[in-house]
Amino acid sequence: MSNVRSTSIMGREFGDRVVLALVIIFALIMLAPVLWVIGLSLKANAELMADTNSVFRTPYTVMNYFNILANSSVFRWILNSLIVSTGLTIGTLVLCSLAGYGFARLNFPGRDILFVVVLLGLAVPEQAVLIARHQIFGILKLHNTYQGLILPGLSAPFGVFLMTQYFRAIPKELDEAALLDNASRFKIFWKVLLPLTVPAQATLGIFTFLWSWNDYFWPLISGTKNTMFTLTVGMASTQTNFAQSEGLGFLMAQAIFAGAPILVLYLFFQKYIVTAVSGAAVR
Amino acid sequence: MTAHIEIKDVVKRFGAATVIDHLSLSIDPNEFMVFLGPSGCGKSTLLRMIAGLESVDEGTISINGQRIDNLPPGQRDIAMVFQSYALYPHMTVADNMAFGLRNIGVAADVISARVAEAGRMLEIGHLLERKPGQLSGGQRQRVAIGRAIVKEPKAFLFDEPLSNLDAALRVRTRVELAQLRHRVKSTMIFVTHDQIEAMTLADRIVVMNNRKIEQIGTPMEIYSRPATRFVATFVGSPTMNFVPVRVAGGETGGATVTLGDGTQVKTAIPAMKLDPGNFTLGIRAEAVRVVADGQGVTTGTVDVLERLGERTLVYTKLKDGSVIVAEDIGYSRVAVNDTVSLSIDGSRVHLFDTSDRAWHCEEGING
Repeated sequence: MSNVRSTSIMGREFGDRVVLALVIIFALIMLAPVLWVIGLSLKANAELMADTNSVFRTPYTVMNYFNILANSSVFRWILNSLIVSTGLTIGTLVLCSLAGYGFARLNFPGRDILFVVVLLGLAVPEQAVLIARHQIFGILKLHNTYQGLILPGLSAPFGVFLMTQYFRAIPKELDEAALLDNASRFKIFWKVLLPLTVPAQATLGIFTFLWSWNDYFWPLISGTKNTMFTLTVGMASTQTNFAQSEGLGFLMAQAIFAGAPILVLYLFFQKYIVTAVSGAAVR
Repeated sequence: MTAHIEIKDVVKRFGAATVIDHLSLSIDPNEFMVFLGPSGCGKSTLLRMIAGLESVDEGTISINGQRIDNLPPGQRDIAMVFQSYALYPHMTVADNMAFGLRNIGVAADVISARVAEAGRMLEIGHLLERKPGQLSGGQRQRVAIGRAIVKEPKAFLFDEPLSNLDAALRVRTRVELAQLRHRVKSTMIFVTHDQIEAMTLADRIVVMNNRKIEQIGTPMEIYSRPATRFVATFVGSPTMNFVPVRVAGGETGGATVTLGDGTQVKTAIPAMKLDPGNFTLGIRAEAVRVVADGQGVTTGTVDVLERLGERTLVYTKLKDGSVIVAEDIGYSRVAVNDTVSLSIDGSRVHLFDTSDRAWHCEEGING
């Protein structure tokens, strides 16, 4: 019996080791491009022009990072991205929470049809409405403004769907207990239900922020002035020569600089991101 | 502060389905009233109508003479304990209890005092800063009751509050509820499908079935003088025995009934009230005893034995195939397949006619 057990434990340990080795290999594969970018950012542009394999040799330099601080508009672009992403995230959370509560808890004529109409928004690609939206924003003089960059993203059918499902999953007895506790409808929403949706809010907030931070298409069209570039558009605008052959180190330093906030966001909210990705949020 | 609750001719419909059908009921001040019935009989719906969580389609509900069915739930001065407890998961125990009081603008020091007093009364004072997720089922139950108590309402409504507890905790909480009702002088309405809860807690029981009230009475009235066959079936464990019998008629005094196997049983049910014909005889197990051979009115073969400790239930098959559950002492010597002699206490039997109307001993017709 003990032999069987020790064999089983040995087998499991061996299996664990194989899994660990595979995980390390896959992690290195995933990490390799990041390490490559970091390496390139620490090399002088001239050296990389001669041979990109110089990344494996000394000397290394932080001049590219100093150049960002001294010469680039990257701080402005980061600020723009922060304003747009934060504004969009807050706006999306507010609107989707209200809509989700409405669809989940309020009875009004046409509710179910309206919900389907909202969900149909998921099926409409951004490109299909681009020209009309560009014209409307042009007429309203919203191009090259923060409102112009934020407003289109506020129509978030996925967010409405997510929050609706989350509100529906909260037992109605809580509403009823609060009603008997003399709470108004808004108080029930604000004090009882909304705090319970924090996991869904975090999931939606992170996804919205990441999507907005990485968005390139609409900011490229709406924000045409250098001072209104978001980070993605701004970085693309610095690529002035073929394949970035003359400023590769500088570009990579900018990429690291731009990615840092997102990395911090991942580190702080990784629990919610994992939950969101695994689809377990709406439970 | 207590409530006299008057329910007059109320009707509740969900779409085309009528779930409460012209029901009237009066609940006295300080009374502990239990709504008892199977799932879907409408008892929880009726409770929710009193609470204001369901609208009243017809009829009225009043508390102390004031009509309340048109008031929102928070203005009816009643508190409710839900089956799922419905505690606010993100609030501490103290905040759960204080939430309702804050909403009506009660002063902070009064709230603190009431919460502390409820915590002391329910022995949850040391849990006030915890959140519901950190509590056991029994503790959550106490918090839910505490949340109701601090409001000092005119009436308490309990919607199957013990059904989520395990068996041992359910018994303990039941006893505590019985103690609580003497400390908190208020009208209480308790919904359950558990007849033991109903029998042990109630001043009066409302037995409901199929959208209607079958009987209202004290626990012993319900048990010993069931108004209908449904009540007789639903209340009591084991279920009352039902045996088809024939009443010959032409007698004075107690009626004699003839069982399927030809056995005649002299009952204390007045014969003059009964029309001759077919009836169903209802006998609780404790009225059918296993006795020494030859001393009973009939015999049967033991099918199953249930030893409950202080007594033994003997499932006996009579000659005509009908089964009667009889009682014997805890240390019964009876074994399966034995032939046993059974005595039937004719003063504790009931007759049900073909329309399910019940006939009892002494006072005659009931129901």
